[in-house]
Amino acid sequence: MTKVSSNSIIVAENIEKIYPNNCHALKNVSLEVKRGEVVVIIGPSGSGKSTFLRTLNQLETISDGTIHIDDIDLTAKSTNINKMREEVGMVFQSFNLFPHKTALGNVMLSPLKVLKKSKADAEKEAHELLTKVGLANRMNSYPSHLSGGQQQRVAIARALAMKPKIMLFDEPTSALDPEMVGEVLDVMKSLASDGMTMVVVTHEMGFAREVADRVVFMEDGELVFEEQPDRFFDSPNPRLQRFLGQVL
Amino acid sequence: MKEQHNLLLWKAVFVLVLIGLGFGIYASSKSIDYTWRWERIPQYIISVEPKDIRSPFDGTVQSVDIKNHSMVVLPDQGGNPFVIKKFDKANVMSGDIVFEGDPLAQVNGWRVGPILWGLITTLKLSFVALIFAMIIGLFTGLARISDNPALRYFAITYVEIIRGTPLLVQIFIFYFFIGTILNLDRFTAGVAALSVFTGAYIAEIIRSGIQSIHPGQMEAARSVGMNYFQAMVYVILPQAFKRTLPPLAGQLINLIKDSSLVSVISITDLTKSGREVVSSTFAPFEVWFTVALMYLVLTGSLSWIIQKLEKRLSASD
Ligand SMILES: Nc1ncnc2c1ncn2[C@@H]1O[C@H](COP(=O)(O)OP(=O)(O)O)[C@@H](O)[C@H]1O
Ligand SMILES: [Mg+2]
Repeated sequence: MTKVSSNSIIVAENIEKIYPNNCHALKNVSLEVKRGEVVVIIGPSGSGKSTFLRTLNQLETISDGTIHIDDIDLTAKSTNINKMREEVGMVFQSFNLFPHKTALGNVMLSPLKVLKKSKADAEKEAHELLTKVGLANRMNSYPSHLSGGQQQRVAIARALAMKPKIMLFDEPTSALDPEMVGEVLDVMKSLASDGMTMVVVTHEMGFAREVADRVVFMEDGELVFEEQPDRFFDSPNPRLQRFLGQVL
Repeated sequence: MKEQHNLLLWKAVFVLVLIGLGFGIYASSKSIDYTWRWERIPQYIISVEPKDIRSPFDGTVQSVDIKNHSMVVLPDQGGNPFVIKKFDKANVMSGDIVFEGDPLAQVNGWRVGPILWGLITTLKLSFVALIFAMIIGLFTGLARISDNPALRYFAITYVEIIRGTPLLVQIFIFYFFIGTILNLDRFTAGVAALSVFTGAYIAEIIRSGIQSIHPGQMEAARSVGMNYFQAMVYVILPQAFKRTLPPLAGQLINLIKDSSLVSVISITDLTKSGREVVSSTFAPFEVWFTVALMYLVLTGSLSWIIQKLEKRLSASD
């Protein structure tokens, strides 16, 4: 087993992912993330960003390589994946709120059923979280009655309710109308300033510049390049410049 | 205003056609010289006729107590006397010699008639079968989409066999083959056949319901730490259940109607008691109309309950 430096909370080494249809989605990807660090991943569509993020909480198994989360080997047989997932929150592009539950119900569900908290405790914490993401007045609304931006903020609160050590965001603002992008990014910024470890896939270059400690560029299943944001965007790397030329 | 006028007109047309149909039925029964005897029907639903208490053996009436409405009969062969604790009218006197089957006395009061018994039996049969069919359907539906090939193949085989053979044949197999081996009574065999039959259809409804839920729901549930079982119970199934309620209602209504087939193994359900009552009243039209109406009441109530449920679940829409 590799010796792991204790201030890295995510250590992914030489990850390979080959889907059953032989699509080689990740090629020898390695990434270390320190506690409290915010890492932004950018790259063209189909480059394996989602796949990589999903391997970090084992929604996707890996074909080869190792992943350690908080010094625990995810690929080891003895690792309790459900327990580990409690520590890694995830926010999806399409929100994936539970439509049969209210905002409050969405946030409370897992603390109640998985952490076996009392209803009073779970409700109190859910109240606090929803207030924190600015939805104090929409607690009892069903997702179908909320705007996209509000739904995504509920989704963030739902993930936070499990008190995760790491938050993964897979294009959290890509499905939103432009006027709602800001409210979600603001919540993410405040989370970052609270010291949360975050891995964010996004096309919001502004967010990357402002909040990221490190920006990673992926293409064709490879991690091409990583750099601090101030140097990242000025890098002469031709693959990166070609991509930036397309999106900016 | 004009539109409302038109609506009213069409409603009137509907009512008129119904009246016309009713008259048509009446007229055609006249043409075959059918005499309607509706007055014979109610007693087969709830009977108010005095009921005979008959002697279980040959014997002698030892005593008749008119004041307390009780009577004691001694058997000729010796043994325990037959005691009637309560009657309304005595047919015999103290010292009379009676034979087995002789009416000794009568009791008044209403009793459940054969048609109502049939209705109750059908209700019981359908209700028990409904519960088991839902359980079988749920587990088969889950097995059908399981990652385990053995579970999947078992589920497919079961569903295909049941859907590919007639219910009537299944009822015979359950009664004569499985019933004989496992020593099942008629009612159990009937319930088992109906549950296994309906379960196969419900399994398919539940499978398609689960598969219609976006995979992101399962992922979201797993990402907040739920295991497969918790994700199913708290996230996937409640949504699938809501979505499958309409086809499920249809299937359960079919179950009530299909239950009429168990009369072939001599379960006295609504249909079989209808047949029996026809042979004693010679009023087939009235009886079958009554029986049909009772089935309608059962299926109508079920649909009403499910509509209520649907309404309650629609709060999140
Ligand atoms: N479930 C899957 N099965 C097969 N191939 C997949 C699956 N999910 C993604 N892929 C493929 O893997 C590659 C990377 O996809 P993805 O990780 O979604 O990229 P990105 O998020 O960067 O757009 C793509 O070529 C995609 O077609
Ligand atoms: Mg993606």
